[in-house]
Amino acid sequence: MANTATHTASDEVEAPAKRDFLKILTVSAGAVALGATAWPLIDAMNPTVSELAVAKPIVNVGGIAPNTALRIMWLGQPIYIRKLTPQQIADNQFIVPDTLPDPASYTDRVKPGYETFVVVVGLNTGISCELLGNSPSDARGPFDGWSCPCDGSIYDPLGRVRSGPARKNLAIPRFTFLNDTQIQFG
Amino acid sequence: MKFGISAAALLAASLAFSNAAKAEDTLSPLHWQSQGNFGSYDKAALQRGFLVYQTVCASCHSANALHYRDLTALGFSPDQVAAIASNVKLADGSQASMDDNFKNPFPDSQVAAKAFGGAIPPDLSTLVAAHPRGTQYIYSLLTGYQAAPSDVNVMANHYYNVAYPGNQIAMPAPLKDDMVTYADGTKATTAQEASDVAAFLTWASHPNLDARKQIGLRAVIFLIFLSVLAIANKRKIWSGVV
Amino acid sequence: MSDQTKSWLETRLPLASSMQSCIWNMKMAVEKPYLAALGSLITATLIFLTLSGFVLSLFYVAAPGAAFDSIQFISRNVDNGWLVRSFHATGATMLFAATYLVVFRTLLTGGYRAPNELTWILKLVFLGLVLIIGYFGYAMADGAVSYWSLHETTVAGARLTSFPGAISNWVFGGPAGPGTLGRVAVLHSALALLGFGVLALHLAAKRAVAPVPTKTVTLHPYYTSHHFVAFAVFALIFAVLVFFAPHWGENQLNLAAANPLVVPAVLTPPWYLLPVSAFAAASSSPLGSIFLVLAGFAVLFAAPWLDQSKGTKPGLFYKILVAVLALDVFGLCMAQADGPSMLSSILSTIFIGWYFLHFLVLSPLATAMESKK
Repeated sequence: MANTATHTASDEVEAPAKRDFLKILTVSAGAVALGATAWPLIDAMNPTVSELAVAKPIVNVGGIAPNTALRIMWLGQPIYIRKLTPQQIADNQFIVPDTLPDPASYTDRVKPGYETFVVVVGLNTGISCELLGNSPSDARGPFDGWSCPCDGSIYDPLGRVRSGPARKNLAIPRFTFLNDTQIQFG
Repeated sequence: MKFGISAAALLAASLAFSNAAKAEDTLSPLHWQSQGNFGSYDKAALQRGFLVYQTVCASCHSANALHYRDLTALGFSPDQVAAIASNVKLADGSQASMDDNFKNPFPDSQVAAKAFGGAIPPDLSTLVAAHPRGTQYIYSLLTGYQAAPSDVNVMANHYYNVAYPGNQIAMPAPLKDDMVTYADGTKATTAQEASDVAAFLTWASHPNLDARKQIGLRAVIFLIFLSVLAIANKRKIWSGVV
Repeated sequence: MSDQTKSWLETRLPLASSMQSCIWNMKMAVEKPYLAALGSLITATLIFLTLSGFVLSLFYVAAPGAAFDSIQFISRNVDNGWLVRSFHATGATMLFAATYLVVFRTLLTGGYRAPNELTWILKLVFLGLVLIIGYFGYAMADGAVSYWSLHETTVAGARLTSFPGAISNWVFGGPAGPGTLGRVAVLHSALALLGFGVLALHLAAKRAVAPVPTKTVTLHPYYTSHHFVAFAVFALIFAVLVFFAPHWGENQLNLAAANPLVVPAVLTPPWYLLPVSAFAAASSSPLGSIFLVLAGFAVLFAAPWLDQSKGTKPGLFYKILVAVLALDVFGLCMAQADGPSMLSSILSTIFIGWYFLHFLVLSPLATAMESKK
């Protein structure tokens, strides 16, 4: 032990700068090696390409005819993408939001620049039931929107609740328009 | 003068070199660019091999582990891959997308067994990896069809192949000359097609080979450096103790 | 962290000072070879395997067929997944190499003799544990070979009666069923955690019986720099394997998907399971296989008491015998590697016979002879 102390001391007298440099270099190289080994383990925990493809699907909406809706499944829930007719827009554009059970304006329900598309989760907000009304021949209710076959709640084409036990408007999923014909969810 | 000569020589040499690179003869002696500790894939060969795979192999064999999007690693652009995928008709009649697995030609192995008299065409995703000297084996198998010797009785629906264990294989010779037309002008001989598809199937089994060798070289050099550092550091610290 | 916070923390939780006194300033014997770092390397490798295994478990599906596909998915679709899988597989190879080396070195240097009996037993317990974990990991690959290995093991196990059969049923849930892989996967990770416990016990036992060194140095910087060399070289070997021989020591056939209709010609396990599989293969009945494997371990466990030396150092003859034993086990593995044949069964019998002869006759004789001089 006494040995140790003297030798450490003499080392420092001989070449303190060189020894420190070697030590710093060795420790930092070791840290680089450790980091480079740890990185793949952390990176591998990211979502994979396949998972992203499922979680963020791209949907083609160019083929939807006015007055009908496309139904897709996303994350286990039915999503309705509806193309409005000019008549439906005119009917709903200027309604004062405060007169509705769950106030929301036309611009709250559509994306700017793509005002003819309404994208909603197609589940009644009262009793959870899939809504009818995607095709013009379905039971759509008096507002030409959707109706619930379970509790009779009525929605307008923008997905706003108009009557019935339900009190909330239809939920709007997270999505963006990539261009005129493509929507990406997520 | 001297400068002019050397410039001309350099030009000639580089031309000769580029020609050699373009029409590199992989068939005599037989070799693949991906072999060895430093080899990487020849993307032109992989693309040619994919063409052979898609035209010939894919009609009977599945490659379940592969997705169409993986083909960008062969040097195809995303648009080209999207076009390749959209040319594939899935079982339900729809077009395949980038994120689909390679189409399985049969709904399940029972149907496949029925179609081929019990001999199910093996899945090609890991065939090269699971076979000793896999790349060479694929090439030898595809070019190993011969007329059976007179003392060999070939079973019904079987073919004589020198490379196959037991020499009797249920797959008829799949390749013949000019079965595909290569976009890069390479002459599509049977041997060339076999070599290219062997390269493609090697990639299918080892898609990370290039990255593995590249990262590996750096990691090994760095760790040699680290070991030397560690030894120097240790000697320095211990210099007076023993 | 400012000095003020440091002292605030330090007065309430004196980590730094206890690290200083208990770890960094620990007194260590001066003459320690690099192989003395194997214990630290084994611990570090087990931590590394636990971390990489955790990442793999995020994607692994423990169901027949789906398991193989999920590993393909990891290798092809997960970011750096091929590297993580290779880390885990090669990490297992390094762990076994280090563990076998420790067992061999302890035999060679007589490190199992009193008062080291318990450290020796804990080493063997660790070896047995990692062999079980290694087998489960191999079975989890669900390849063309390991599928059949698991199948045969579970079918043979389910046919056993009384206690061995009950153990097999508890572990595997009967002959390879849909739930077997799930059980194997859970046990694979649970037993790995148990491994840390065994390592901790071993460390404590080793400290208790370590002789008091005459000349000492502190752990830091002397043994930290010393072990760092061992770590760097170990990492270098590891990297060469990961990047240039990722499937070294594995049966290549296991890289194909399992086919329940096709039994492969050669059911060779990875290299680290070969000694056990050679002992098991030497008997045709399951009970006989179990007996041989247990007997092979039993003579190892009994080594401290079979040894006749009275505190003397192992002599040259004994060391030669241990080296021959290592060659014998190596030969046994090689005889096993190419699958069953007449020659391999004869060779296996000879090699296994020599193994028992070594522990029961030769080694006691040699040590008795050498202690008389």
